[in-house]
Amino acid sequence: MGRQKTAKQRFLAWAHSFILLIACLSVLIPLVYLVINSVKLPREFLSVPPTILPSEVTFQHYQELFEDSKTFRYFRNSFTVTIWTTGITIVAGTLAAYGLARMRLSAKILAGVTFIFLFIRFYPRVTTVIPFFLVMRELDLLDTVWAIIIGQLGITIPFVTWLMLVVFQDLPAEIEEAAIVDGASVWQRFWRVVLPIAMPSVAAAGILTAFLSWNEFLIASSVARRKASVLSIAVAGFVSDKGIQWGPMAAMSVAMILPMIIFALFAQKYLIRGITFGAVKG
Amino acid sequence: MSRLSARKRPNSSWHRRHDLPWMVLFVIPAFIIVVAVQFYPLVYSAFLSVQDWVLTESQVPKGFVGLDNFAKELSDETFRRSVRNSILITGGALVLEMLLGVCLAYLTMGTSWRMRAIRTLLIMPMVIAPVAAGTLWRILLNSRAGLVNHVLGAIGIKGPEWLATADGAIASVILLDTWQWTPFVLLVVGAAIASIPDDLLEVAAIDGASRLRTFLHIELPLLMPLLLLTLVFRMLESLLSLDSIYSLTFGGPGYSTYTLTYYIYTLGLRAFDFGAAAASSWIFMVFASFSIGVVFWFQRKDW
Repeated sequence: MGRQKTAKQRFLAWAHSFILLIACLSVLIPLVYLVINSVKLPREFLSVPPTILPSEVTFQHYQELFEDSKTFRYFRNSFTVTIWTTGITIVAGTLAAYGLARMRLSAKILAGVTFIFLFIRFYPRVTTVIPFFLVMRELDLLDTVWAIIIGQLGITIPFVTWLMLVVFQDLPAEIEEAAIVDGASVWQRFWRVVLPIAMPSVAAAGILTAFLSWNEFLIASSVARRKASVLSIAVAGFVSDKGIQWGPMAAMSVAMILPMIIFALFAQKYLIRGITFGAVKG
Repeated sequence: MSRLSARKRPNSSWHRRHDLPWMVLFVIPAFIIVVAVQFYPLVYSAFLSVQDWVLTESQVPKGFVGLDNFAKELSDETFRRSVRNSILITGGALVLEMLLGVCLAYLTMGTSWRMRAIRTLLIMPMVIAPVAAGTLWRILLNSRAGLVNHVLGAIGIKGPEWLATADGAIASVILLDTWQWTPFVLLVVGAAIASIPDDLLEVAAIDGASRLRTFLHIELPLLMPLLLLTLVFRMLESLLSLDSIYSLTFGGPGYSTYTLTYYIYTLGLRAFDFGAAAASSWIFMVFASFSIGVVFWFQRKDW
């Protein structure tokens, strides 16, 4: 009886490891294969069976990509958009959250505000893409990075405000009371007392915003298709072009994915908190 | 900071009133952006939904047409097909994600370095740009030279024509969504499992309940609200996604992977039929708003 149970346990432990191995491989293999594809010789792309280990490693796709002034522009635009969106979002979102948290709104109004955040997070954004396109056309901002930045701010600011609102609401009032007694102004209280305590959350919000902005496609593709085109549009664009250029497509995907993977490795906790925010409380 | 002030303000309600203008000032920039970039376009789109306006025919709206756009869309073949595709894709992906996510959450429990490393690896698909995930799977699913069919062939299964047939393309989109978002379920459910008090499970174990019975009778009821919330959350995100389909199938072959979001996007920004696109997005909005209401209710209810 006893021995039978150990055999069963051993089998279960083995099955456990086996399933986890499969899960890990199914995440890892596609990513590694993408990298392999980006250093393959062109003739090996459509070989049957697929070339898993290329006969020769070549960096020609990366070279081609970075010698092309268009690619340089995609990168520059993506960086510009991400930096501005993140910067403005953090400033406006953190301030708004602090304001909302200290206004002492009634529970009902606060519930209404939360609903608005939730709504903006989840309504079919494709609804507002066309009007936004028309507004940008009216303002003569079509095909500029500013059209993308403004559009993204509409998503990221409410999200960060919501995230930070929860943080500021949880901050005990006593922390600020001492500063009030000392006669600190509202701004001093915010800048010198509250913000340093909330810094880890601000960092989390910033990382999340950068992540959303870098990967964003819908708004970018609707208002900026040429001059102001960003990486996400370029990567998606390989599909609609005549004939797929497998090498550059893989190389550019790797270049787009890599910064976020590094981000995720170093700031995993923050990124997760942002991505799952709303599904888990706090 | 410790600068002494002659004007002591002991009355905190005075403070509240004194602070209020500042707080309003803090909120204003965010408020302006949200109104300008979210609410104004929403109202604008409601206006467009009752207008006849195709940009390629006219630079300005041609006039009020009542509910014609709605009637036209509801009877449109492609619109209906897109709704059907959306249901198929989101439904299929949700089932797989919930099942796999919950299983993996249980299998990766614990705080050992090995489990933490595995979890770090498993969440990688989530941080990848959906457009890049789409191109990645486009490479993998190539029916002739793709890795997936090669692996399937190695274990004796003849892989389907993933991206060239209607059913195959739908399956491909489901596969991609599942690959990318199962980690989300894993994370949320994993955190919830970790917060179930151990003694509850120990009592059950002492009572001689099997692992399965403990799960069904103790853990599952506790997890239920969160599982439902996660389900609606994922459903909305999956319905709204555009980028991954754009780069994986481009809606094709034909219209076979047009989802509602993709359909509205192409109607508005490729055919430039602003009226029809706005009308169909408001039909979509009714359903989405209802689901958002459900999420709101779930979050506020104390379970």
